[in-house]
Amino acid sequence: MRSFSCSILALCGAFYVGTAAPALADTPVTYTEEGQALFRFEVPDFWILRTGGPREIEDTGLGDARAVARVIGFRPVTDDAVWMGFVSPAGVGTIQGGVRYLQDIDRFLVKDPTMTSTSDTRIGGLPARVFRGTGHRDGKGVSFTATVIDLPQGRVAIAVAILRDGADPSFADDLNAVFASFRALQ
Amino acid sequence: MSIRLIKRMSLALGLGIATLTLSACDGVTVGVGYGYDPFYDSMLWNDYYHDVDVDIDIDRPNRPDRPVRPERPKPPVAKPPARPRPPVARPPVARPPIHRPGPRR
Repeated sequence: MRSFSCSILALCGAFYVGTAAPALADTPVTYTEEGQALFRFEVPDFWILRTGGPREIEDTGLGDARAVARVIGFRPVTDDAVWMGFVSPAGVGTIQGGVRYLQDIDRFLVKDPTMTSTSDTRIGGLPARVFRGTGHRDGKGVSFTATVIDLPQGRVAIAVAILRDGADPSFADDLNAVFASFRALQ
Repeated sequence: MSIRLIKRMSLALGLGIATLTLSACDGVTVGVGYGYDPFYDSMLWNDYYHDVDVDIDIDRPNRPDRPVRPERPKPPVAKPPARPRPPVARPPVARPPIHRPGPRR
């Protein structure tokens, strides 16, 4: 009996040691469409990932069901002041098309957006255009980074990162780490 | 008897500590769901409305001005009725008494 309880204690001790020094391995996530992997990135530790999937949604006012692409969103477990999402919309193949796609952003993601900077860069070795700006959402100020990444074979990846005002600035490092881990898979 | 008691106590204590330890292994946050996820939903709708002729931001005509509230009709000003006065009783007319004593003869 006593040896049994002692072994439980030893087991939990192992857990304790394990949790006290967590492994610093991020979680790779692959964005796939119809079996074809488009890109991958790494989700920071202690973030919640929402995978979503291809689906149809319908505006009740329009009565028109349309297919929308998978949206992968994630945020820290302990804080909803930070959010990041990826989508690879169907039928958008160029950065110009991606920019037009992002022009709808003012209707949904952020209210009264003000663009503060636009820059062309490379993310994961691929050409990308980054828009930074500020706006409002739910009565709070937010700053956003919307990115169009030109994937090979006529696809783009749209990445949107949002930091609400008052969010811990160290989360920006996590967001940058996600961009740094971005790789196309084709 | 005492050894049995020690065994039982050690089992109880061990299991109790084990329970606490195992529950400590869990995170403190339990049941975090996706109740309100505005940005996720927005990105879905962004895809829904992309490249579709339906423009939800149609320039609608400006909202008409609020109708001017008609002025409240003023009630005709009427003088308040004169305060009723109580009828004033006139003093009786002083009449000479009918029967007067005749003049002294």
